[in-house]
Amino acid sequence: MADIDVVPTEFRNVEFTADQIRGVVARLLVEAGLVDHPGIGSVRIEVDESTPLSKVVTQSLEPLVICAQSGALEDRRRTRHFGGDEAADALGRAVFAAADRLDPTFDGPAFDADVGVAHAVAWDCHVVGRMARLGHRPQRQRRLYSFELRHGFSDATVAAFDRLWSAERLTWAEIVAISDDARSVVGAA
Amino acid sequence: MRKAFPPEDLARDSRFARVDRMDQIADPRAASGQGGGRPNQRLTPDRADSADAARSLMHGIFVGEIQALEGAGRTCWDFETGTDGAPFALKLDMARQCWDEARHCEISVKLSEHMGTEIGEFGESAFLYQAACNPDPVLRLTGVNRALEGLAIDVFNTMKEFGSISADPVLEFCEDWMLADEVTHVKMGSDWLRKLTEDDPERRANALEFQRVVDKLFSFGGFRGEDDESPVILARRFRELAGFGTDEIDEIAAISAEARDEAKAHRASLAAQG
Amino acid sequence: MADPHAPRPAFAPWDRRELPGSFTVEESARRAGNYKWIEMRLFEALGGWIATVPELDVKMRLGTHCYHHAWHAELWHKRLPELREMNPERLAVPPNEQMERFVEALTEPEAADLTIEKLVGVYRVLIPHKIAAYTYHLNNTSTITDAPTIRSLKFILHDEMDDWRDGEMILQSLIETPDDVRRAAERQVELETILVAAGGICGPGTLGGPTSDEQQPHQEVSA
Repeated sequence: MADIDVVPTEFRNVEFTADQIRGVVARLLVEAGLVDHPGIGSVRIEVDESTPLSKVVTQSLEPLVICAQSGALEDRRRTRHFGGDEAADALGRAVFAAADRLDPTFDGPAFDADVGVAHAVAWDCHVVGRMARLGHRPQRQRRLYSFELRHGFSDATVAAFDRLWSAERLTWAEIVAISDDARSVVGAA
Repeated sequence: MRKAFPPEDLARDSRFARVDRMDQIADPRAASGQGGGRPNQRLTPDRADSADAARSLMHGIFVGEIQALEGAGRTCWDFETGTDGAPFALKLDMARQCWDEARHCEISVKLSEHMGTEIGEFGESAFLYQAACNPDPVLRLTGVNRALEGLAIDVFNTMKEFGSISADPVLEFCEDWMLADEVTHVKMGSDWLRKLTEDDPERRANALEFQRVVDKLFSFGGFRGEDDESPVILARRFRELAGFGTDEIDEIAAISAEARDEAKAHRASLAAQG
Repeated sequence: MADPHAPRPAFAPWDRRELPGSFTVEESARRAGNYKWIEMRLFEALGGWIATVPELDVKMRLGTHCYHHAWHAELWHKRLPELREMNPERLAVPPNEQMERFVEALTEPEAADLTIEKLVGVYRVLIPHKIAAYTYHLNNTSTITDAPTIRSLKFILHDEMDDWRDGEMILQSLIETPDDVRRAAERQVELETILVAAGGICGPGTLGGPTSDEQQPHQEVSA
């Protein structure tokens, strides 16, 4: 098992503990098949507790470094408190996306490439669908809404979303194709 | 059943979690500003977090509708008809508002389902209902129907525009209907304020001052305003329909700008303290 | 087409309306006043309870029903001057002290765990009594002279039947255990007893027989 470093080790602005975050990430690494991955080495989670925003950015793959704003790991019902489901969702999307990138058959975009928001959302849907089948809080409708916002509100969009959500493993090219097809249907309508 | 029902006793099922507005204000991360220092907080589909931002705002609308329903209901109950300044027709208006707010709750539940939000997914602050606890019916109506329902006009108009830009037919349709009701409620507040204080300029002044306080509180340090920094835009046209004069709308815009500037100064002082 | 100038009967063969009715103008006004009073008490109570019930569906239903009863109160308020009562407040009173006591008891529960008690009072006691009183009025008033009251009664009864069904279904969904059944039944007995002592929502004579004023049966007005 890779070492999981959480920064900071003690929090001042939020009621989080490093162990809570470490516990969530340890499970995700196992589920994403990264636990013994030779490339990632140690894992580092950097939390920016100066802001309640919720952006999560993967800074490096090897070693795996994920930067999360504190709002991403926060219980939506309790200000400044750690939310296990929220953290698993936010960090899980980053960890599973990292696993995709590290899989040569996925043939993903270059790490520093600018992935458009529609493709990024489509990728998220594919990742969260897999996480849901592993027992994480599904929030299928939440992801569908996010997908529809970027691909239009239509039956074709729902069908495209279902393909992303239910597929066990898609390549980057397949994700892009599903996203582009969905957008072209709406654009043509 | 008591007359006057305190906010802390509002009944909720186990899905709901109450958050204290003071905890939010005291959050040290507030130093980074409304929206965490994001320069443009306008809700637009091109924002990376727009889906979750819309879901969060929609849940806020939902619990706000519950509290508006409760507030209108309490106005039916708390005041004796006629004897302490709550005319029969005013109470009929409040009962009508109960029905409208109940429908808004129903619409909000359906919209939340559409957006993938679970009931109680976000915390609920009861400070909207607090404005509905004023013991003077004129002040209560001015605070609720002119200030809060006025804010609802701004919020619904913002959400309607978001639905329109994102081509979400469900959201745009629902927000437009709720917007129509809110214009009616604000007009009710304006009409009753005029009628009940016709011969009492001091009471009218007090009511308008209470409205200013509520308007400022609900500008949330820049939450509602006329610039790009404000997530919710002052809906001038719909406010005019609801009986607001241009000078009154200008005043709300000024109050909102003042609230935003004060919040900026507060954040700067927090940041300076480290 | 029939000759437009040919004389036709004023009442078509299918129009069976008749003049006789059980109520004088004064008695109609008295009842309308009682109706307005109880509809007001009911919409106020439903409004007040919204904040006190934790069940979301019940909260929203109470908000909807609150307006129905307010609108009924408004219909009676408007009908009173048409019945020669130029000060509608004068007759918007309870028929007797027992009826006031009934409303006090009805509106007493507040705690969040008393939804059954709140709803039983409204949907198993008061609204069935209102439906009975309104139906009695509808079936006994003159279908020609009192047509405006009949029109209001029909609108109101439509709401009352819908609301009764709504409330009863909510109650059946809330009553799950023998203890719940006992609570509902005890509450019904408690309130029904007071309402029976009041003689109904219009006092004695609500469903016929002598009113408290007359102490004798209504006189049938014949054509």
